[in-house]
Amino acid sequence: MRVGLSWDLDTAGTSAAQTHVLGEAATAARFGYDSAWVREGRDGRGACSHPALLLTALSRKDATLQLRAIREVVRANPVRLAEEIAVLDVFSRGRAGLAFAAAGRQGRPPLQVHETVDFVRTAWAADEFRYRGDHVRFPTHTGDDAPAGASFPPARGSDGYVPQWELGPATPDFLTVTPKPHCPRPPVYVEIDDDATLDWAAAAGVSPFVAADVPADTAVERLGRYRKAADTAGRSRAEVEVVVERVIRDESPPALVSFVRDMHAETGLGHLVLRRCGAGDVDLFRFAVDVYPLLQG
Amino acid sequence: MEFWTGGAGLARMRAMPASLANGYDSFVADAVKAEELGFAAYGAPEHHFTYDGFIPFPLQALAAAAAVTTTIRLVTGAMLLPMYDPLDAAEAAATLDVISGGRVRLGLGMGYRPMEFDGIGTAKRTRGARLVEAIEVLRRATAEDTFDFEGEHYRYEGASLRPVPVQRPIDIWFCGGTSARAARRAGEAGLPYWLANSPFEVTESIVHEYRRAGREAGWPEERLRVAAFKDVFIGNTMPEAESLRDVMLDVFYEEHILGYGYLVDDSGRHVYNPPRDHPMYTRFVDSLFCGTAEMVVEELKRYEALGVEAVFLPSPQRGLIADEIMPEFT
Repeated sequence: MRVGLSWDLDTAGTSAAQTHVLGEAATAARFGYDSAWVREGRDGRGACSHPALLLTALSRKDATLQLRAIREVVRANPVRLAEEIAVLDVFSRGRAGLAFAAAGRQGRPPLQVHETVDFVRTAWAADEFRYRGDHVRFPTHTGDDAPAGASFPPARGSDGYVPQWELGPATPDFLTVTPKPHCPRPPVYVEIDDDATLDWAAAAGVSPFVAADVPADTAVERLGRYRKAADTAGRSRAEVEVVVERVIRDESPPALVSFVRDMHAETGLGHLVLRRCGAGDVDLFRFAVDVYPLLQG
Repeated sequence: MEFWTGGAGLARMRAMPASLANGYDSFVADAVKAEELGFAAYGAPEHHFTYDGFIPFPLQALAAAAAVTTTIRLVTGAMLLPMYDPLDAAEAAATLDVISGGRVRLGLGMGYRPMEFDGIGTAKRTRGARLVEAIEVLRRATAEDTFDFEGEHYRYEGASLRPVPVQRPIDIWFCGGTSARAARRAGEAGLPYWLANSPFEVTESIVHEYRRAGREAGWPEERLRVAAFKDVFIGNTMPEAESLRDVMLDVFYEEHILGYGYLVDDSGRHVYNPPRDHPMYTRFVDSLFCGTAEMVVEELKRYEALGVEAVFLPSPQRGLIADEIMPEFT
């Protein structure tokens, strides 16, 4: 079991909230926490609209935490999204990951999230490619005659193919998104709030993420459905990491341990993320000493 | 005169094979060193879709530098603004401004490589006009709590920047290469102008064009500020300096010039794969200043006399510059 921390600064009243996150995350790293998750937001004056920037700064203050950006697709350019997480991954030497907010939270169709996930994963893994989707098209001039999803150039020499950097002023039909991540395939997560995304993620081998505002019984129900759908699709449980975010305040350590162990048994929970809310948050040191060791095994 | 510098290592330079991750570490270490040496600013550039892994998001590289420095300014040089939604760019700049405690300086250029526009999904043809509009959006977004903007290319109503930056507004510079047209645009908009490498006589002509346009638009002299990007190669002898220049040409500039259309002729057309005796090529080589430390001081004094208030020296010879060049300037 991994345990991390998350911050949603959407309603943060001042920008000092971001420097507070840097300090708290560095402290958490010293106590042995595994990950830091920052959610994109734009409501409060201190909201974090670009989690990858904050996490990149954090990557130079600590060398151990896994760094996860929780992003929306509504304002993200998929190319830039792939680039940002790849850059974070290089700066952190393979500690970056990307979680996608549920389509419903953004008022976007689930297909836009699915295509963006597919595009980003292709951009990290493939060299030159193009992409034709309903919501994502790369490069822009990719025509309707291109195959749906990602497609790749012909083998060199078979069709007069020339790589992009030898083309001069011509516009290439296939491009390589660079840099590539340090780790060939950074982990990708998606909130499974809608059924279409739950089924798609289970079949595509995308790890499920359940946010702190989803009630515990709903989380268990949805993760159970995800597990069944993934089994039906023939996916190995070892391919994905089940992540649940929770607000933990003053629960007694035994009750907390029991809750997490039950959830692990029912859902395959592998990564518990403690959402930080400010006053009343569980003490990081006490949790690390009293609870975290009991979650192992 | 201020001295700015920038990091290498955010790409794998041909003929200098190295791990990209080690290069990123060097970029951060060089920022720390530049701060110790007394440079006023440290920069990162932007390019996309290149096999060498060139950094695509300079503000992100600077976020890494921000984490380990305390006083040096963090400057994009150049961030290719027409390839961003301007409000999104403002948000990213504001985030770095918060992380760094108000040390962001934005050098904003328009970009020139067709595949970058096509890959990111914006039009190349309108990039000049969009750059001017987008800069105004950035200025308003970082200066005002809520703003409306209605331009030819961008519209915002009741927009607010999140997070709110430390600097109100963030310091913005127009990177116009060596184009007289771009200099006029910057002058008309009253924006500080940052030139690319060019021989002194070309720099002088562009600076005059910029100031004339600014004055005609009614901007006060103090608003018409100039910085210059300048490659300098310092040797004990001229051949030694020229050999350093030739290495840089070989491992870095050649492919920009040959493959990516880095050079622009007087009619605004990009020149691809020019022969080495092409006038554009030889003019560019001449713009890479070679000499002894004394000669570099003399050359930069000419820039200072022209009213150039800052020079961006990307040279890895930072220690030498700090010891032998910078003390000659106030």
